[in-house]
Amino acid sequence: MPDQPKVSPFLQVLIDKGVFDQLPVSFSTFFFEQVKEWELLFPAERSYFERLFGLIDRSDPKAVQELFAPLRGVERKMGVNEKVWPKRQFSLDQVDFLNRSAHYPEWRKVIANIFSQIDPLLDAETARASHARLVIIVSPAELPVGPDRMWTRLKDKGKMVSLDLTEEDDVRDYLPQLLTGGKRNDGSKTLVELYAESKAKSLYDTWLIEASDALSTLVTRSAGLVKLSYDNLEVYRTRLMAEVRKILETEDIRGPRQLGAKLKQLKMLSKDIGSDPLLAEFVRSVLLSGNGTLLINNTFVEWATVQAVRRARPSLAVIHFGIRNKVKPFSSLLIYTDQKSSNPIPDQMDSLGSYVDLEVFNYYLWQEFEKHAEYRLNTVYLFVGVGMDEILVIGPPDHSLAASGGRIKLTGIYDQTKKWMNLV
Amino acid sequence: MFTHSKRRFVQLAGLTIANRILPDWLRARPFSPPRDSGRKVIIVTFGGGVRYSETFSHEGLKNIPQLAKMRPEALFFTSCANAGVLSHFNSTASIITGNWQRVDDFGFQPPASPTLFEYYRKQTGVGPLDAWVIATNKSFSTMGAGSEREWGSPFGANVVLPKQLLLEAVDDVVKKTPQHGVANRDNVLRQLEAILNEGYEGVGWTIFKAGRQLDHHLRNTLTRGLIEFINGPEAPTSGDELTFFITREVMREFGPRLILVNFWDMDVAHWGSYSLYLQAITRTDRLTGMLWEEIRSNPNYKDKTTLLVLPELGRDGDLNTSSNGFLNHRSGDPSCRNVWLLALGAGITRGETDRPIQHIDVAATAAALLGVKTGAISGKPIREILKQAP
Repeated sequence: MPDQPKVSPFLQVLIDKGVFDQLPVSFSTFFFEQVKEWELLFPAERSYFERLFGLIDRSDPKAVQELFAPLRGVERKMGVNEKVWPKRQFSLDQVDFLNRSAHYPEWRKVIANIFSQIDPLLDAETARASHARLVIIVSPAELPVGPDRMWTRLKDKGKMVSLDLTEEDDVRDYLPQLLTGGKRNDGSKTLVELYAESKAKSLYDTWLIEASDALSTLVTRSAGLVKLSYDNLEVYRTRLMAEVRKILETEDIRGPRQLGAKLKQLKMLSKDIGSDPLLAEFVRSVLLSGNGTLLINNTFVEWATVQAVRRARPSLAVIHFGIRNKVKPFSSLLIYTDQKSSNPIPDQMDSLGSYVDLEVFNYYLWQEFEKHAEYRLNTVYLFVGVGMDEILVIGPPDHSLAASGGRIKLTGIYDQTKKWMNLV
Repeated sequence: MFTHSKRRFVQLAGLTIANRILPDWLRARPFSPPRDSGRKVIIVTFGGGVRYSETFSHEGLKNIPQLAKMRPEALFFTSCANAGVLSHFNSTASIITGNWQRVDDFGFQPPASPTLFEYYRKQTGVGPLDAWVIATNKSFSTMGAGSEREWGSPFGANVVLPKQLLLEAVDDVVKKTPQHGVANRDNVLRQLEAILNEGYEGVGWTIFKAGRQLDHHLRNTLTRGLIEFINGPEAPTSGDELTFFITREVMREFGPRLILVNFWDMDVAHWGSYSLYLQAITRTDRLTGMLWEEIRSNPNYKDKTTLLVLPELGRDGDLNTSSNGFLNHRSGDPSCRNVWLLALGAGITRGETDRPIQHIDVAATAAALLGVKTGAISGKPIREILKQAP
């Protein structure tokens, strides 16, 4: 069949058996569209689709029928038929159809209800296969506040741990001590590298996402882990902006959805984003579908992390925010224009604005991780501000940092997180 | 049936105790539209969408000092719902038509039913200078009139899109003078004027001309707004500020009775910067306060203008599990749909009510204030606002 996707043998059997086609079309076509580009899916995504449709396949047909009956009812009310919604098609037309339907809120509600019944079953499977995970979220040293005003939306979920810092400590060694247990010049391997070498479940199990290059310069290894830096992607971002601008100026683009569809055809690969087609597509998609990711470093970091969590479910993630620049007068109106070239005013850092932004983003990231069963009850989160003498630790009660008292050295934090990840 | 009896009982019981628990001004009265009172109506939308949590919640009030100051003079509706499509064009089109609109999200289609402007102009016979849409959102060029054949543009509002003008000018300046770019504000002003002199259509404006002299007059009026914008004491740069300056010039020069002002800077939230989003809210708050000052000090508007301020939609909530918080407005959660409305000015009794109203009620209410009838629309006149209308 022409629209037959290349999927795993297991999923192919389910497709051939008609598992997709027996479901309401507004549900099944969405997933059919998702699995179409099977080679561009992360292992966690593939596993999810196999488990979801495997569950539907092995469930009592009557129960499946009952589960989807309300959705069939809403589809009838919406006027879903072969004409407006061809079998196995989920395009912009279908998105528009849904959005403009008077029954769209009801549709969303029944979809949410379906997942409220499916998710606990899938989550239970996930929880049975759970293992220790670590998330480190770093704020830059230039923030104009101390730890007392950091992570205000999260403090009640964890514990502030005092650090034993001395005046002789060089702030440049802050991150190396946390991630390697030594100083920058020692050249020791980072937690990230140790994990990627010995424990990672796949090439996409360990992620570094950052605004500048603080992590990239510390983690020298590139194989077996994902490294994304907003600054390091500058050449690619500029080219991408130029392409988007060209499309907007030369083609009839009606709105963001149409632009999104057009950009999806823009297979713009570059050596700047490596040779892995899955990661290249991930970066392209983050830069083009995430709001503001082309323009603001921290938005890129946040959205790339959200997407990595939703799609790849990394076991170890180190996220480093930066300071965003002040928005330049007038030229900031031109979204797809390089600000540096369009306005000779030098870039200025907005440290206060960045602080306000990060208070929200830190919370959003923690929340995003915790939405997924993989992370609940077995993840240690370290919220770190470079140079600060306190960090926020959120984690399961059995994690040693959660029970620690008194001051602790950064190298001590390193030792305990290493132990938590079974890297000893 | 029992269920019927029970419902009836609850209704009757509600009526019986209403006199005891509701303040006098909240009790429903039979509504009849007022006769033409010479009243003016200005509708201000916090376009782009803003959540309760950053505005009229306890912690949000610091972002809207002007609205907070205006609130004691106003009638505040704590629950104004957008039950329609959560896109900008459809949201605002629903406000000004009184029907939930489900047209193209980006303004490639006009509203599917007549707008308030058409009802007003057709029934009163007033000219095009008496109804205006001044919008920062550049996709609002078709907001002035609906697509119904008997109505439409002959009765529609003038639509001006200051931000689109600004965008064109900035774009041209960047291309023509890459060395100095837009750092030189005079360059921007010269380009703004040049674009305006080439005609309005190029920037998506709809202006109903009534002869060469008026056209000249109109252009001078708009140019004054541009000059004030460029030379403003705080070196303004945003689309909403230009919208304000042009609105004020239009008010001073033509004194229209019906204006929709769409501020939109806060849609910068899509960029993912919470601080820029908050700054935009505070800017819109300041501009709304300045607009209210203009209404109170301009003899053409003082004591005869009702100002209705509301967000066109909210934005996704922080706790929403499928979205990315304030960045978007597509989840349909309460944070996205449930906003507020502030009514103040002529004929408004101060107070607050949690009686739920909807965005589509605004058109019916404004029509009643202007003394015109709407066709069959879904929205209902807001009785608390019309209570004291003469």
